[in-house]
Amino acid sequence: MDIQALWLTLRLAASTTAILLVIALPLAWWIASGRGVARALVQAVVALPLVLPPTVLGFYLLVAMGPLTAPGRLLMRVFGHPLAFSFEGLLVGSVLYSLPFAVQPLVAGFKAVDAGYVEAAEGLGVRPFAVFLSVVLPLARASLLTSAVLTFTHTVGEFGVVLMLGGNIPGATRTLSISLYDQVQDFNYAAANRTALLLLAISLAALLVIYLVPGLRRVDGRQADIVQ
Amino acid sequence: MQHRVGAVSLDVNFALTQPWTVLFGPSGSGKTTVLRAIAGFVRPDAGRIEFATEVFFDSSARVFVPAHRRAVRTAGQMARLFPHMNVMSNIIFGIGWNSKPHDARDIAEQVMESLHLNDLRNRMPRDLSGGERQRTAVARALVSAITFNFNRTERPLLLLDEPLSGLDVGTRDEMVIELKQWTARWKIPVLSVTHDLGEAFQLEAEVVKIADGRVVKQGPVDEVLTEERSRLLKQLGG
Repeated sequence: MDIQALWLTLRLAASTTAILLVIALPLAWWIASGRGVARALVQAVVALPLVLPPTVLGFYLLVAMGPLTAPGRLLMRVFGHPLAFSFEGLLVGSVLYSLPFAVQPLVAGFKAVDAGYVEAAEGLGVRPFAVFLSVVLPLARASLLTSAVLTFTHTVGEFGVVLMLGGNIPGATRTLSISLYDQVQDFNYAAANRTALLLLAISLAALLVIYLVPGLRRVDGRQADIVQ
Repeated sequence: MQHRVGAVSLDVNFALTQPWTVLFGPSGSGKTTVLRAIAGFVRPDAGRIEFATEVFFDSSARVFVPAHRRAVRTAGQMARLFPHMNVMSNIIFGIGWNSKPHDARDIAEQVMESLHLNDLRNRMPRDLSGGERQRTAVARALVSAITFNFNRTERPLLLLDEPLSGLDVGTRDEMVIELKQWTARWKIPVLSVTHDLGEAFQLEAEVVKIADGRVVKQGPVDEVLTEERSRLLKQLGG
């Protein structure tokens, strides 16, 4: 078992999830609270990693983070080294690659919250940000959990972006999925089997969390206010 | 105020002159839309809405004050109790978002007591009957209106959109008495909507009668709704 790869993978997945929730919450709320061309465009861009080959995203990021572009040079100046083939670079790639998995469940969750609750709160003089925190977010908490779990799991399993952007540096960019690839290349099927089983277990456990917490859905905005 | 929503074309013009005013009219006459426009949930096509010294909406001056910044507190047709909060938390949710009075919780307790909600304080909305939810929603809006401002000079307008419609007559009558007392004591002006003749008479309020999106008549309930009362009595064989 490549413990170093396991630790790196968990660190990457946890960091990506934390960063993405901060980005995805306001973004998803903005998308869910209106219509229009701008929102459609943002939604399309957010969803791009779902259909784009990971290697394409990895390639563009590799170029963007390199010394040939202005953002790349800026990042080099900030971090003191090129972001490509580093943990930070991998983090940027993971955040972009897992963006739809964080944003889309939240958009669906926010849209499902009955607008009547938002009106009820505003009709009591509550500011929009407070309404979001105290009414919308608790009512969409099942979606928040789904978003976090999917983001974490998707990051654990990513391969193409990691390989393009991070290479295969033990302790820095070699995640479990890269380690599995290496083990198969080395014909070390026993180790590959253990790594594959671990990845399978992580994914299954994560999905079980989503499906095993019905209590979270009981107060979901979709079902609220039903006269019993 | 002019506004078009679906097949209804609203064109209403009225002023509140009494502490309690009732918008009376049949379903689909536009009562709720008028209330929603005053609350800030609907932006009218044209017109002007003002309360006390504040202009909420003025189409010519392009003024539109968002709902949460208006000196208005609302309780709607649907109770809309926040499903993740118990009755007590719902009732104190609207306390003092402008400025929190020291005695806000005492006021909430007193309102709960008078509206017989004390025994329900720890219940979740899903465990309440329809009537209990309605009463809680009214209490929530009332407490928010009373605790609106600590200096106690400025009072918000309380908008009630048929909040008593789901109650049995006995409870409704009791609620009306309590509401009248509370709003009179704290000098909170009320604009409520009803299509219930009995409720309109019991309130003894100023009535603005609306039909097909127009104000037909405004005045004391005895004058404005005489026709309706005679018709009802005739139907009852009186």
